This record gives sequence, structure tokens and C-alpha cells, in this order.
Amino acid sequence: MSRFACLWVECFVAAAAERSEPALRAEPMTVLAPAPSVTRVIDANAAAREDGVRGGMTETEARARCPALVSRPFVEEHVRSARHALLEAAFGVSPRVEDGGVGLVYVDAAGLAWLHGDPVAIGRRLWSQARAVGFPGCRVALAGSRTAARVAALNATEPVTVIPPGEERAALAAAPLAVLGLAPDLAVTLEGWGVRTVGELAALPRDGLAMRLGPAGLRTHDLALGLDRDPFAAWTPPAFWDEAQGLEWEIDSLGALTVVLAAVLERLCTRLVAASLAADALEVRLELASGGHHARAVALAVPMREPKPMLALLALDLEAHPPSAAVTRATISARPVRVPAGQGGLWQPPAPRLRDLVAVLARLAVLVGPDNVGSPRLDDSHRPDAYTMLPFSPPDELGRVEGAGDAGSAPRPRGRGTTRQDPPRSDARTLVLRRVRPPRRVAVATADERPSRVDGRRVVGCAGPWRASGGWWDEEAWARDEWDVALVDGTLCRLARDLRTGQWCVDGVYD
Amino acid sequence: MEDVAWVRSGEITEIVGRPSSGRTSLFTTCLRDVTSRGAVAALVDADQAFDPASAARAGVDLGRLLWVRCEGRRDLALRAADLLVRCPGFTLIGLDLGEAPPRLPLTLAFRLKFAVERTEAALLIVGRRRVTGGGASLVVETERDAIDWAGPGPSPTRLAGAHTATRVLRARRAPPGSPPAWWRA
Repeated sequence: MSRFACLWVECFVAAAAERSEPALRAEPMTVLAPAPSVTRVIDANAAAREDGVRGGMTETEARARCPALVSRPFVEEHVRSARHALLEAAFGVSPRVEDGGVGLVYVDAAGLAWLHGDPVAIGRRLWSQARAVGFPGCRVALAGSRTAARVAALNATEPVTVIPPGEERAALAAAPLAVLGLAPDLAVTLEGWGVRTVGELAALPRDGLAMRLGPAGLRTHDLALGLDRDPFAAWTPPAFWDEAQGLEWEIDSLGALTVVLAAVLERLCTRLVAASLAADALEVRLELASGGHHARAVALAVPMREPKPMLALLALDLEAHPPSAAVTRATISARPVRVPAGQGGLWQPPAPRLRDLVAVLARLAVLVGPDNVGSPRLDDSHRPDAYTMLPFSPPDELGRVEGAGDAGSAPRPRGRGTTRQDPPRSDARTLVLRRVRPPRRVAVATADERPSRVDGRRVVGCAGPWRASGGWWDEEAWARDEWDVALVDGTLCRLARDLRTGQWCVDGVYD
Repeated sequence: MEDVAWVRSGEITEIVGRPSSGRTSLFTTCLRDVTSRGAVAALVDADQAFDPASAARAGVDLGRLLWVRCEGRRDLALRAADLLVRCPGFTLIGLDLGEAPPRLPLTLAFRLKFAVERTEAALLIVGRRRVTGGGASLVVETERDAIDWAGPGPSPTRLAGAHTATRVLRARRAPPGSPPAWWRA
């Protein structure tokens, strides 16, 4: 039988501010929106709410109601860390915890009786855990579903509420509709029908609700009946993949910094190996003697867990982007990913190891530019020299050979070429073109509409024209005639005449 | 390498010749042979003259080819080749130096030679003339013999192919296979 607990903290934004500054619990306090023009109240603690302070009020109105009001600006980090602390508190009681939103945590309580005792003991354990991390005003409810537990927690007056199995509907019948958190227009409609409590809503005929309100009505009815519509989404605590090294001396050379980074990376990689993880990105944060920071993010081409290639990549990046002052502290964060184990095929020829390949690619990118290193992929276009440079990542297994065929045939689209089972014939050789990039303009004389001289050199053989055009539907229209010509000096080249401008150019030389 | 068994692993081979002599077609045949059996090849292209469409038609698996474009800077091409020959796992590393190959210092030539011996990669240099001197184990020169034109009428409309002959200029020891004496592409 499923049992769920709901851990709820009322006015969570104010509770998060109190958690970071506990002295505020003794006085009325409100959290204000950071807007500079009209400062409005985001949330208020219990003491301020007793004086009538509510969310959405202007600061002036709130101070008029509560002259002793203390205000604090909204700090998102406080809320984020408070949510994390609440989830971790629940995680200490049950391994299955769901983040239900701001100030709301669901706990799968099935089987916890073996560890903590009866449901009341489980609830008290949760309550004490939340109290220990800074939420003394939290409430806990246990029921047969998450929805019922949430409604019970929102409607409760005691710190711990337990609804016996099968009595959820009766226990929640008296709760006001507001605890369901309905959309405003739907709440107005139900109020117009005279529905005030959860029990009255649950008693309405389901078919009639569906007919009048559609899917929203059915969802609302499920809430009133205490039924869960969504599956339980377990929360996993994010791992802490940081390693740091403080320095008693200042480092102002990359060589010395590399030694420090190597030690930090060694520790980080040891942890990654122990968790069977790899890192696909690193972030280096350097504290500088000038008081500033220098942060660099290095994306790894492949996930890795070896410190040596990581260190090489970090050193290359820091060499290209050195810190502006001496370094006093170094921190490295890794983004962990799980890499499935695998091995190459038995008949697969050896390929570069990933760590070697990544380091070489990084060095080549520094040398010739990242855009000039990669693997070409033919574009699906008839435009001459249409290709895209992709990051080099050779496939693990033998795949299809792209566009293999005889000379003179058009390039085939990717994936339709010959395969390993159908290798190209060993004696099938293709006359290959050496491209001239960008195409070089030439002066061409013609006779009978065929090229007769190219830059003064006599044409001894000529074939064509091969007419091609494309892109006429947009601004990059092109149209050309291609000629294969043999010149008197032995050069065999491809000429192209732009049909729009009439200009001739050399596309490339057959070689 | 089946079709290009004359290109030895761990050694430097040079293909030299005039423009349109067929040296790039011969080089592309080597790329095709390496990539079609699942190995990884690299091409350092000094002049950015590599045509992916032609290579794909010739049967080169472009996904297994690392193309390094040097935009006319031959010093960068040599440094890139020096990096690649030190990375184990590349079966073939092509260095296309184009029509104006630089003169390689003897120290660099032997540095490349010792590097490929260690990684057992085949370094294949394509250019107008020889650049490695005594560092190359095999030097092949290509020369075009004839051109085939085709077409239905008296005026040809299609370049059907070209005949190329090869000549061994230097062979430090007898290769396991011989470069094709001639072929038609």
C-alpha cells in the first residue's frame, strides 16, 4: 500500500530569508521585490501576517499596517539554497523524495515503518529534520496519495497530521477550496456554484463537471478526491564535483599554475573514477591577487576522466586566455556524465584513443583555427563546392561509404553509397578535382561558343557545357555552365561561366 | 592497404608530379582504401584544395577523414603534420603541399620519419616536387599519358577519364607491392 508524506513550509520566501538571518523570526519581516519604482511585498513572515501584511502590497501600505516591519530584499540564492536544504532534510528520512515546488516536498513513506516506526513517528522525524535545517514552522502530513497529503498539510494546524488509509476523502471534506490551488477563473466559477469545500467539490457528478469544465474540471475533481494524476518524480541530489587549492603564495606563471591544476585535477578525477563517471566540461575559477576572478569554461570533445589530457586542454585554454594578475586560489568544477562502457569491434582497425585525439584536435584548433579542423560533410545541394565542416568524430563501427561511384556521376546523398559489404572496386579510380578556392577569374576566348583560349593558353580539348542552376527562389540564385578543358601546357581544368554575369573562372584542376 | 600496399606503415612516401598528372587521384585512392576498411586518416591541406565531392565519388568515407585546412600557410601545414604523426591511431596522414612545396630542413624530414616509425602511421606527401630528400622511403612520380573524351557527336561533351603513368624515383627497399605502373581514372 502506498503512503506518502508531504512536507510543507508556509510562506517559503520569508522562511528562506529567516533561515539566512534567524534573528528576523522574532519580529515582523517582509521580503520585497527588487523593482526600484514601486516596491512590493513578495512574502511576509507569520508576525507580519498577523498585522495584515500580505503579498502584493506596496511597501508603504505594509508599513502603514505594521510600523515595526523589517524588510529585506529578495535574494534568489536564499530561496534556492533553502529549497535544496529542505529536499536534503527529507532525503535523510526516505531515499525517494520529490520536489513539489517552492516549499513543498513529497516523500514516499512506503516501507519506512521498518526504519522509523509508525506513521506518526515518520512524520515527527520529517518535521524534526526540517526544523533542524532552519524551518521551525513546517508542517507534515501523511496520507495515501501525494494530493491528499498536500491538502492535509495545507489545512492542518498541528505540526504532524496522519490520515489513516481509506479515510482521505472524509478527512479532507471540510477543507476550503483554496487549499487546492485552483486557477482564479475556475475558483470563481465554483464559488458561483456554491461550492465552498473540498468535500462539496468531490460530491459533484464527474460527468457533469467534465461536460461543463472540460479537462480542467476532471483534474479539479481528482484533486478533491485526493487522487494523483502525475507519476512520482524522484529527486536526485546533485553531486558536488568541485576541487580547490588555496595557495600561500602567488603564482604568476602558467608553468607553476599547471602544477597546481594537475594536483587539483588528480583529486577530481579520482572521485570521478570512483563514481564511474566522466566529465564532459570543466570550469576553472582562479582567484587573483588583485581581488578579481578569472573563470574559464572548457568543453571537452569527449567525456573523459584522465587528468593528463584534461590538464593539457586547460593549459592550452589558459595559455590563450591568461589571467590578468597572479593567482592565489584555483578551483576546478567538472560536469559529470555517465559514459556507457564499450569496446571496438574485433575487426575494427585501431583508431586514435579519445584522450589523444582530443588533445590533438585542440592543438590543431589553436594552430589553424577551430573552423579549419573537422570532417567534411556534403550538403544536399547541387551548388558547387557545397559542404559543411563538422567536428571530427569518426564512427565506432564500419558504416556506409558516402557517395562512392564512378567518375562523372553526380554526388550521391549521404547514406546511399556503397557499404562495407559492397566496397568500391579496387580498380575503380576517379579523376579528382583540386579546388581553387576562391574560384579564380580567367579571360576566356571562345570559338563556336566553345572555349578556345584560357588566359592566352590554347585549348586542345574541351567537353561541355554542363549547365546547372539553383537557388532561384531566394537571393542566392546561381546559374552556370561548366566546361572541362585541356590546355596546351597539359593542364586539365574545369571552367565555369556565370550565366548571370558572363564571367569565367577556374573551379579547379583535375589531378 | 590492399590497393595501395606499396604505401608502407611507419614510413614516408611521396607522390610528386605536374598539375593534372594524376597525383591527387592516386592519393585519393589511398584515402579511399584506408577509410573504406574502417581506419582513420588525416589530410593536412596546405592550399585548401581538397574537394570533398570528388573524394566522396572516389569512395572516401568522409566521416573517417580529418581535414586540416591551412589556407595557404605551409609552415602551419608542416606543424600540423608534425602534431598528427605523433598521435597514434591514424593509419594514413596525407600532407598536400600543392604546387609550391617548401624546402624541408633535413632535421624536420627525419623528425617526421622517426615520428611515423614510432606511431606506425603512413605519411604520404603530395606535391610538385620532392621535399623530404632521404627521409622518404618511396618516391613516386606521376605523369599523364592521355585524356579520353566522350560524347554523342563530333564535339565531346564529357571528360571520360585520363591515363596516368607512374615511375618510382626512389625506393629505399623493395616495397611489399608496387605502385600501379599506369591507370585510367
